[in-house]
Amino acid sequence: MMVSEIDMISPETMEECLQILNEYEQEVRLLAGGTDAVVRMKEGHWRPKLWLNIKGLRDLRFICEEKDGIHIGPLTTHTDMVQSSLLQEKADVLVHAAKEVGATQIRNMGTIGGNLGTASPAGDTIPALFVLDAVIELSSVNGIRRIPIEEFFVGPGKTVQHKSEMITNIIIRPQEENEIGIFEKLGPRKAQAISIVNVAISLKMSGDGWQCAGGKIAFGSVAPTVIRARKCEVLLTLQELNEEGISNIASLAWKEVAPISDVRASAAYRRDMSTALLERGLLRLMKRWEDR
Amino acid sequence: MATIRFKVNGKEKVVDTHTTKTLLDVLRDDLYLTGSKECCGKGECGSCSVMINDEVVCSCLVLVGQVEGEDIKTVEGVGTSTNMDIIQEAFIKEGATQCGYCTPGFIVAARSFLNKIEKVPTLEEIEEGIAGNICRCTGYTKIVKAIQTAAEERFSRIGAAVTQGNLQGKGD
Ligand SMILES: Cc1cc2nc3c(=O)[nH]c(=O)nc-3n(C[C@H](O)[C@H](O)[C@H](O)COP(=O)(O)OP(=O)(O)OC[C@H]3O[C@@H](n4cnc5c(N)ncnc54)[C@H](O)[C@@H]3O)c2cc1C
Ligand code: FES
Ligand code: FES
Repeated sequence: MMVSEIDMISPETMEECLQILNEYEQEVRLLAGGTDAVVRMKEGHWRPKLWLNIKGLRDLRFICEEKDGIHIGPLTTHTDMVQSSLLQEKADVLVHAAKEVGATQIRNMGTIGGNLGTASPAGDTIPALFVLDAVIELSSVNGIRRIPIEEFFVGPGKTVQHKSEMITNIIIRPQEENEIGIFEKLGPRKAQAISIVNVAISLKMSGDGWQCAGGKIAFGSVAPTVIRARKCEVLLTLQELNEEGISNIASLAWKEVAPISDVRASAAYRRDMSTALLERGLLRLMKRWEDR
Repeated sequence: MATIRFKVNGKEKVVDTHTTKTLLDVLRDDLYLTGSKECCGKGECGSCSVMINDEVVCSCLVLVGQVEGEDIKTVEGVGTSTNMDIIQEAFIKEGATQCGYCTPGFIVAARSFLNKIEKVPTLEEIEEGIAGNICRCTGYTKIVKAIQTAAEERFSRIGAAVTQGNLQGKGD
């Protein structure tokens, strides 16, 4: 493979990195864990003039709780998230999603910033970030802007990020005591598989019973971007989440999704599986709520 | 071209190469460490597994410009035929290799897995630990058994060292 025509710069500080993003006139692309970038370079899809290697910017790898929420640095790996006790306690749905990414090697390399940057509708952390009301912080030499995740993606591989910007922080809402979440994924095989359909659910329960006070549901891989299932969300509070209630909610899922057929699955199969995954997720969540 | 410095198997290395060459190609072509194998080249099979700062990764997806100053361990650093690691001994004992192409990747992934566990793992945990590695020959049963054998060996040695009040003893 001819690689010599592509250059690489490894900035030592974020300021230097933003400067290069701002000034470099030809095509430049950030390189973090490389698990999407290098695959696409080899396939000939991504051939920038310059790789801007940010892997060494250790300041961008953090998980911490601040006044306005839990802050996650873009260079945080999937393994970091799986192992974080803060996320286990206050963002279980994101931990579940990170666990489902690839296998050990890919989780050790791949980052949350890269998952967002690739902007695949099948990206596993994205539905989890939707139900945790994530806000994406974009920085450039001109300053910072914060974009709610539902406004961040505009299509497969496309986001509102400008050429001179990069993701420097991801802020999520910590779950409350009465809140539980789950991530369910259907892939062609158990490990190392891109989602055919995935769903993240976060529920706020009221009291000890099966009454839900509100919740969010987000599907991946069933539309050009990850989507919220708003009709299903409305139903969450209108009936108890017993088997019958759950089945009613899940049966609406096919109306929410707008999948395509591709090499991984047909549109019809994705629609059916959206219902099945939502039902399975809600049943498992209620079982966990009961057993807690 | 650039000059890149990093450690491989405990030794400082300096290579003059293109920054966008994969770590796997540099290990094999420039440093003649041909244990790591290229198979899929896309992160799916694990035959190129190496450790960077003790974390197992696919060296076919790491560009060498990204490893300046890092500490890399390849299968050659896990053990050699004259000084084998318990995981390599267990692979031989259990007959866990056939054509052998996947074996170096499994050895590195298994070593990294063993470094991180605190008790003898269940079969399910072992399967999860090596889910990033593909083998087309063995059917995995003997590979999983070999890792279990090595894990038992590791913890029995640690146990023996503890009862002798000597934690400096050869832990693994
Ligand atoms: C074998 C295999 C299995 C996989 N399985 C899964 C899976 O199960 N689920 C899943 O969701 N993904 C999967 N992936 C895809 C990939 O691993 C993830 O999307 C990963 O999170 C990407 O992170 P990275 O750091 O490797 O990104 P990179 O490849 O380094 O970058 C990806 C993109 O994001 C951009 N980018 C990186 N950092 C930033 C930043 N800070 N700001 C702005 N843009 C940025 C880059 O410019 C690039 O365009 C798999 C990949 C492989 C090879
Ligand atoms: S060759 Fe690297 S994972 Fe297959
Ligand atoms: S022994 Fe042949 S691929 Fe594993």
